[in-house]
Amino acid sequence: MIASVFKMFGSASFWALLLRLATPILFAAMGAFVSSASGIANIAIEAIMTLSALGGVLGSYFTQSALMGCVIGLIVGILSALLISLFSMKLGASPILVGIALNTFADSLAIFILYTITGQKGTSASLKTPTLGSVDIPVLKDIPFIGQIFSGHYVTTYICWLVIILTAIMIYKTPLGLRIRSCGLNDQAAETAGINVNKMRVLALALSGVYAGFGGLFLSLNSIGLFSKGMVSGLGWMGIAANGIASSNFVILILSSLVFAVFRAVSAIFSTNQAFPTDLVNALPYFAVIVILIVTGVVKRIGQRKGSNDVVLGEVRDKHRH
Amino acid sequence: MSESILKLTDITKVYPNGTVANRDINMEFEKGEIHSIVGENGAGKSTLMKMIFGIEKPSSGTIEYKGSEVHFQSSLDAIAVGIGMVHQHFMLIPSYSIVDNIILGDEPNKLCFLDRKSAIKKTQDLSDKYNFELDVTAKVSTLSVAKRQKVEILKTLYRDAELIILDEPTSVLTPQETDILFDQLKSFKQQGKTIIFISHKLDEVKKISDRISVIRNGVSKGTYLNEELSMDQLTNLIIGRNLDNDMDEYKTHEDFHNAHALEIKDIFLGNPEKPQLNHVSFAVKNGEILGVAGVEGNGQVDLVHCIVGSQKAKYTGTIEILGKNATKMNVKQRRNIGMAYIPEDRIGDGIAGSLPISDNLISSYYDRADINSGLFMNQKKINELSDELIENFAVKTENRNITVESLSGGNVQKVVVAREYNTNAKMMIAEQPTHGIDIGSAETVHHKLIEMRNAGAGILLVSADLDEVINLSDRIIVMYNGEISGYFPDVKKVNAQELGLYMLGVKHQTPEEIGGAMND
Repeated sequence: MIASVFKMFGSASFWALLLRLATPILFAAMGAFVSSASGIANIAIEAIMTLSALGGVLGSYFTQSALMGCVIGLIVGILSALLISLFSMKLGASPILVGIALNTFADSLAIFILYTITGQKGTSASLKTPTLGSVDIPVLKDIPFIGQIFSGHYVTTYICWLVIILTAIMIYKTPLGLRIRSCGLNDQAAETAGINVNKMRVLALALSGVYAGFGGLFLSLNSIGLFSKGMVSGLGWMGIAANGIASSNFVILILSSLVFAVFRAVSAIFSTNQAFPTDLVNALPYFAVIVILIVTGVVKRIGQRKGSNDVVLGEVRDKHRH
Repeated sequence: MSESILKLTDITKVYPNGTVANRDINMEFEKGEIHSIVGENGAGKSTLMKMIFGIEKPSSGTIEYKGSEVHFQSSLDAIAVGIGMVHQHFMLIPSYSIVDNIILGDEPNKLCFLDRKSAIKKTQDLSDKYNFELDVTAKVSTLSVAKRQKVEILKTLYRDAELIILDEPTSVLTPQETDILFDQLKSFKQQGKTIIFISHKLDEVKKISDRISVIRNGVSKGTYLNEELSMDQLTNLIIGRNLDNDMDEYKTHEDFHNAHALEIKDIFLGNPEKPQLNHVSFAVKNGEILGVAGVEGNGQVDLVHCIVGSQKAKYTGTIEILGKNATKMNVKQRRNIGMAYIPEDRIGDGIAGSLPISDNLISSYYDRADINSGLFMNQKKINELSDELIENFAVKTENRNITVESLSGGNVQKVVVAREYNTNAKMMIAEQPTHGIDIGSAETVHHKLIEMRNAGAGILLVSADLDEVINLSDRIIVMYNGEISGYFPDVKKVNAQELGLYMLGVKHQTPEEIGGAMND
């Protein structure tokens, strides 16, 4: 069995699968990251992904344009995220409670809308929906192994990696990023430096809606153009878990999302193998999230006990400060 | 003198709940002067400053800046015209570098990217120009309190402030650091900048000011030239009566046979490379106050955690409270054998804010037989006790049923001290007992601590306020970097300057000298 695992890691198809399965987690993680960086928790990533996935399919069906579907899906994402800012910042509710409300509400709302339009409660299969599809990258696709891994992915996967780079630049290299992070780290300091903290948070939540929206669109508008009940199945929560591990470090955010994706890929491959009980294998990624959260939690605690508050996954900075 | 830069006319501020913070304040600030504003906590200094800095809006009255009337919507508007403020609680982001903290909100950029290179150059030049001795690429979390304050001042200079408000800037500094700050303030003054200096330390106010304005109960008591005002006149203006500064005459000198109320032996906390407490030993005798002086963050907080028995402190060594080994006891057990504790964070650790005053007055001994029958609380007894303590400690409140969070800081602290006093404990830990509260309340707290001492209790007084340590203590230890750096057996022979050298780690006594803290 160990041999077969090694063989698996050596195959190009595994890595291609990993990149594909990582996409929605990466989007979800960035959505959770940008809002918590600004100091307001968005735990409704799962809900936003669901609503955007449906919005994308319906938009694409009614306009018969995948691009328009995409735009509509993102608008749905932004509006749902802004609900959090409306309720928490304007009306004074806890963002966590608003998030819980959205999460419990989104699934049922999606089914209600789906039923109203198609008459079916399970999937949107009856709607003929144009999709974004996938692209082969010229030259790269002809390189053996590398080409197999990096070419032929869905458009949204390429968008994802572009967005990761742009986000990293935004967060660390622009005044906007400096301001957003300052709101999360010390909002009073930001306020007295003349920054409109509420504006920054609304902006961050809207961005969070865009990321989660893309995550939803990846699920519904790629190959067959289908929304189905429960299709997000915890991917949004995985993103939130990755954000919890990252503790405001973007590189760790991406790495931990990729680790979760490895377990999804392994689970996807093993679930086709009759030798293992399918339900158990399907639960593997979620189980992995719990284990990884515990391990990183313990590592952080040990780091703190060593006497520094600036601990990033055991990396202790400024050991001898005076 | 010279031209007016800021003029306040008939400023009144009434909060929505009806509290009048300022009433008809008239004040004028001249260009290039150091103008102090003094008054008790809650007198309305902070509110007035918030209005000048655009954080609050006056209910009525006008603010004129450089001859024209201004209506600030936010601090952004105040910053734009050239007003800067250094807040008492620093408005810094510890995980950012100095330069990022300074440019935040006004970042130099190139094609919408941060231009860190020119930001670093500009801020470093500014720091060098004023001899701030900062490396602007260092993270703020690595800086001492004094350096953080310099960063705050740099922030205002970076924004070309001509009028700089400093809110209680010296409360966190050693005497030496205060001298450096004052030199800098004087150099700002020479460059034509105007300084508004807010403080409750009157000797410092006398030392640095050109003119002094006094606020009492939200009303201005006038502006005076520094040289025209004696210290006694100034105190009288501030609190409306003369203050009794000498605590010594309250102290009685009974002999309690040198028995130890608290004995700390070889306490070690942290990892071996970077200990938070490095083999600390000392004893507090019955009937004495042992003062612990030191710059914030040199182990005092950890020390108190260890003595109190907080979960956070996993220490080695032994702690004896009133002759009993308390090393392995939790907080409740230690309280049961006679410990009382006035915590530094009175709002977070000292009270339950949304509960009435009466409940807060018994919360550390709620299980005592006279108020707790085992099944029900004896409410009548609690009420009697509360009324007695409220009167005895002069807590300003309408009745005992008001939630404690609606009281002013000074009165909250009186509630905490009253409760701990009433435990009749023979070993008291007083952690920053008067930090940030008004002079009147501080006086009450000081008198009660001395009363406990005279009755034979051993008191460990941890304070960042050197005057407090010197005025109250019988003996003093100084903490530096998790160790005792100096021990002073006779408080009458120490002065603040000398203590300052030990607080900064410039001087360090030999182990034999420090050993006196345990053996005297």
